[in-house]
Amino acid sequence: MTGKQYISGYCSIENNTVKLNGQEIFNVPDAAFAEFAKQLYRDMETDYPKFFKMDNLSKLSFLAAELLLKDGDNENTALLFANASSSLDTDVKFNDSISDKDNYFPSPAVFVYTLPNICLGEISIKHKLYTENSFFIFDTFNPEFFANYAAVLLNTDKAAKVLCGWVEFLNDEYRAFVYLVSVNGTIEHTPQNIQTLYLS
Amino acid sequence: MSGRVAITGMGIISSIGTSVEESFNALIHNKPGITAIENIQTIHANAIKVGEIKKTNTEMEQELGLDADNNYSRTAMLGVLAAKQAVQNAGINNINEYNTGIISATSVGGMDMTEKFFYDYFDKEESRKYIDSHDAGDSTHKIAEQLGLKGMVTTISTACSSAANAIMLGARLIKAGKLDRVIVGGTDALSKFTINGFKTLMILSDTYNTPFDNNRKGLNLGEAAAFLVLESDEVVKKQNKKVLAYLSGYGNANDAYHQTASSENGEGAYLAMEKAFKVSGLKPQDIDYINAHGTATPNNDLSEGRALIRTFGTNVPHFSSTKPFTGHTLAAAAAIEAVFSVLALQHNKVFPNLNYKTKMEEFDLVPQTVLMEKEINHVLSNSFGFGGNCSTLLFSKS
Repeated sequence: MTGKQYISGYCSIENNTVKLNGQEIFNVPDAAFAEFAKQLYRDMETDYPKFFKMDNLSKLSFLAAELLLKDGDNENTALLFANASSSLDTDVKFNDSISDKDNYFPSPAVFVYTLPNICLGEISIKHKLYTENSFFIFDTFNPEFFANYAAVLLNTDKAAKVLCGWVEFLNDEYRAFVYLVSVNGTIEHTPQNIQTLYLS
Repeated sequence: MSGRVAITGMGIISSIGTSVEESFNALIHNKPGITAIENIQTIHANAIKVGEIKKTNTEMEQELGLDADNNYSRTAMLGVLAAKQAVQNAGINNINEYNTGIISATSVGGMDMTEKFFYDYFDKEESRKYIDSHDAGDSTHKIAEQLGLKGMVTTISTACSSAANAIMLGARLIKAGKLDRVIVGGTDALSKFTINGFKTLMILSDTYNTPFDNNRKGLNLGEAAAFLVLESDEVVKKQNKKVLAYLSGYGNANDAYHQTASSENGEGAYLAMEKAFKVSGLKPQDIDYINAHGTATPNNDLSEGRALIRTFGTNVPHFSSTKPFTGHTLAAAAAIEAVFSVLALQHNKVFPNLNYKTKMEEFDLVPQTVLMEKEINHVLSNSFGFGGNCSTLLFSKS
């Protein structure tokens, strides 16, 4: 199988605003990320208490994935995510908790999130995805990489769909751009189209 | 992707021996390597037992002829010793004659030196050389350098399934025609980092580990390194080479259950075994011996046992965990157990699951507890890592 692939759905979360397939669907003005994320979680009527234990990057990734996977048949959906700051947002928080010898409280619950690919684990656990998953670190958003890697996964029958995501979180600055690739849809999965949607 | 993947050489160093022969003798004569810890000063010394290699770093530096200003971690030195044996065993004189790579697994990398010198780095310039050997990849590059290998070098770190994934990646690169020959395996030294980490998780036994026993109390950590030489069918034919065994199947799956623990029903383990069977074309009834992951933690043995029952039904083949001999050697575990699997094929022996007394209440599985002779054509070896990273390798007689 080496047919064309399409972007069957996409969403972005940034500046406390959620857009699904180009349409703004949710917004909370003037809230910190934690509050915004909580309100979005409630708005989506997701019943998944583990959400509240996640770090910021996982919450962001989880919510974006939820928007696209919520009502679909997700069997054999691979996960292909990337960002520029890895898990640095949580790494710094963990380091702060152990840097003072007199106030030394390493927490396994924080430590477990000091790897960026844990957000893929959270999505896999929620949607029972026993599929290929990889998390990459790049300087900047890299549409050629997503186009090639997803095409290989689909063309070699490693996956039926691929959920691609750029999920960035550092010091209260965040951005998620997540989209689903499959053999159905109208927007062809090309680097140019990916870049256009990313910038839209 | 096509063609078989032959195993043409192996090397090993663990607490039960510094060569393949020594290891085999220990396995057939019930000589485990679990002792009190000697090479690391730790407050847990009286509370734990370990599979420790009784060589000091200085002894290994001398054995390898390293300069006084070397920055080899213990992990790297163990890796070099095992990899050199494997290359020699495969009769390789010119390592770069064919397109040859190395894929090594490690979880601690240079942590043993970092924890020793961390607080000195500011004041003592002479210890700073170990900053460069901290990262996991450094140990692999040192091994490649010692072998004179100029091809692909890469490192895998997926906790306790690391070496299985290194072996798997090597096999896939050969099948895809990207490499003719690849040295695959893993190396991990004991360190305070792992001792304290596992102690915190409360899964270290205070006595000898007892896999698949109802009263199991956890694992003994160990240190080891082992490497296999994998070669394509074509390269084997060209050299008219002796094949020790074939790597006939492999599978890796995730558990989609928890960030660190394995699922209770062994979903990931079941999927990994299923994938390995699919790759090999073998059926569960073809397996004569299972070298289980069997760490003797409550979580692993329950999860793995359930996965074995799901895969094999009521006909689970003879199985044993060799971790009572070596301890759990983390990223090296699947590599040393690959060597044991090949030995089982070559000598038609099921190695005993030492220390077992009481059947687990959850199921009827009883491991093989004494050395057993039987015709062995196919061995299945499991390795499962934290985070539900589950891997299975299948080895077949040459």
